[in-house]
Amino acid sequence: MPLITFSGMLLFNRQLTRLAPVDILILVLYFALVVFIGFYAKGKANTSEDFFLAGREMTAWIAGLSFVSANLGSLELMGWAGAAYQYGMLAAHWYWIGAIPAMLFLGIVMMPFYYISKTHSVPGYLQLRFGEGARAVSAVSFAMMTILMSGVNMYAMALVMKTVLGWNISFSIWVGAATVALYVMLGGLRSAIINEVLQFVLIWAGAAMIPILGLIEAGGWTKLKAQIAVNVGTTDYGHMWSTLGSFKDNPMGVHWTGIVFGLGFVISFGYWTTDFLVVQRVLSANNLRAAKMAPVIGAAFKMAVPFIVIVPGLLALAVLKNPDGTMMHLVPESVAAATGQHSYNEVLPLMLIRYCGPGLLGLGITALVAGFMSGMAGNVSAFSTVWTYDLYGAFISKKASDKHYVAMGRWSTVIGMLVSIATAYLVMNAASIMDYVQALFSFFIAPLFGTVILGMLWKRATHWGGFLGLLAGTISSIGMFLWVQGNAGALRYIAMSPDAKPMAENLYRALWSWIICVVVTVVVSLVTKPVPREQLAGLVYGVTPIPHDGSKNLWEKPIFWAIVVIVVFFILNLIFW
Amino acid sequence: MDKQESEIESAELSIWFFCGILMLAYGLVLIVTGFVEFHNPPANEILLPWLESLHPTLWWGVVLTVFGGFYSIRFFPRRG
Repeated sequence: MPLITFSGMLLFNRQLTRLAPVDILILVLYFALVVFIGFYAKGKANTSEDFFLAGREMTAWIAGLSFVSANLGSLELMGWAGAAYQYGMLAAHWYWIGAIPAMLFLGIVMMPFYYISKTHSVPGYLQLRFGEGARAVSAVSFAMMTILMSGVNMYAMALVMKTVLGWNISFSIWVGAATVALYVMLGGLRSAIINEVLQFVLIWAGAAMIPILGLIEAGGWTKLKAQIAVNVGTTDYGHMWSTLGSFKDNPMGVHWTGIVFGLGFVISFGYWTTDFLVVQRVLSANNLRAAKMAPVIGAAFKMAVPFIVIVPGLLALAVLKNPDGTMMHLVPESVAAATGQHSYNEVLPLMLIRYCGPGLLGLGITALVAGFMSGMAGNVSAFSTVWTYDLYGAFISKKASDKHYVAMGRWSTVIGMLVSIATAYLVMNAASIMDYVQALFSFFIAPLFGTVILGMLWKRATHWGGFLGLLAGTISSIGMFLWVQGNAGALRYIAMSPDAKPMAENLYRALWSWIICVVVTVVVSLVTKPVPREQLAGLVYGVTPIPHDGSKNLWEKPIFWAIVVIVVFFILNLIFW
Repeated sequence: MDKQESEIESAELSIWFFCGILMLAYGLVLIVTGFVEFHNPPANEILLPWLESLHPTLWWGVVLTVFGGFYSIRFFPRRG
């Protein structure tokens, strides 16, 4: 979930390192394989189902890894490693309670409805359940967000390449965009999925050495925590829950209610169950069992990600030193701009450079590039699907041939990338746009979850209820955002505490907008005419016979593995309490 | 992965084959680099002497070669 601000990357103000020939070789090998995959996948993208849903023939493992990888972009890695330095173990909440329960809920409860309805997108499900109005609101906002996010990813990649390696910004933007456009245009979602799985493996290959070598240097986890406590003067950085009793007792300035209800329930469920960018990966599964298993597999791998993201941030608190041997203190972006120090967002590249010589450095840089490109590809392939099916096919050309829609998918990929490039250049001239784009993303996700979950679980929800609830939730979220922008003191009312810090605003704004969406949907539904029961078959719990998923024994049942994952999740939270 | 999944993935070029072949190539590159660096440590290892004796590039190269080699052979295209 892109909740962290990263305009601070603009403040990288010096080239950190340079690549050796072996590093360039590693990078070139990656690009060569990616382009080959695009041409290879082209031969399999003939129909719209092939192009937009990878022929619905992905196995649970592939769909699951692609599902989790679509959220493992480089902005996430660098942003949350910086957050771990800033807030300590609290940052791991975004990987555990902020992801695992929602991913399991998607797999076990919601996936059957998405899958049985044979919808091609989340806006498509909204059309089936709530009519064209809800689909239009959702599709327009989603298309706009994906294309902007793709541009932000593109610019962030170019910026990181410039600041870490000294590369020209335009060179990085155009090479990255052309490569992504080529392989998504040729192979559609199949191409994007293959690259996402590849990126997942690459991220681990490129980043795992940081925590491994870091823990060796620190002398193990216990000594690492002790050293952090000495360096920062408090033991708060090593705990996830014990400091959340009050807003003022933890570095993040949040309360456990915000983490559990705002992050763990609304934001997380909204993102993982209704953001089409990630749901699209699961819709490509080859059968119902695979569709249910994919998010469970994704959740298992997601639990391990803090090892390569959070641990490096914590390690930097204990072992990152200046060349003269003194401890290096990373600072907020505003301070870094004035003093020339390194900012929080630089923690991952700094740790990479600390431990990785030629070869390993190239692998780490390639992993970051792969993460950025995968972020662009994920956004642009989801944009292409929603544009072609839910906007062009729904409102402009309703009865074109399948071949026509595939051609439209390819063209919209190219045009989407061009708009992304324009966004990247726009961001270059107005850095704050990056943060606004992320805020825009959060406007729609929380209320959309309210609409979808009521649509799936409550037969009485009507078309007008869904449409007006979604609209009211979205408008209220924008309203709260503008209120805090105009008057910082408003945060105390939204987060219900004068001690709340900006991070709490995201959590409580999401919670309120979800509640408003649900209340409006319920009230309007109760005073409007119910949808006939026969129209709800295949869409709503209680009127839809759920077919057996084909699992023959305990080991094949998605629910069994979901229980295993949730037990591990609880154990991890207790260990790091 | 069950038998059915394995057959679907190996019918043509499997995604796992792509992962395997890339990791194998990277592993071999790192092994060669690791040997070259054995007596000529890079700058970061000179700054951190404890790192030099671990030879991380060489050993990580071995890990990736084993991982990549296994997946390249297991999902080699002819196995359909």
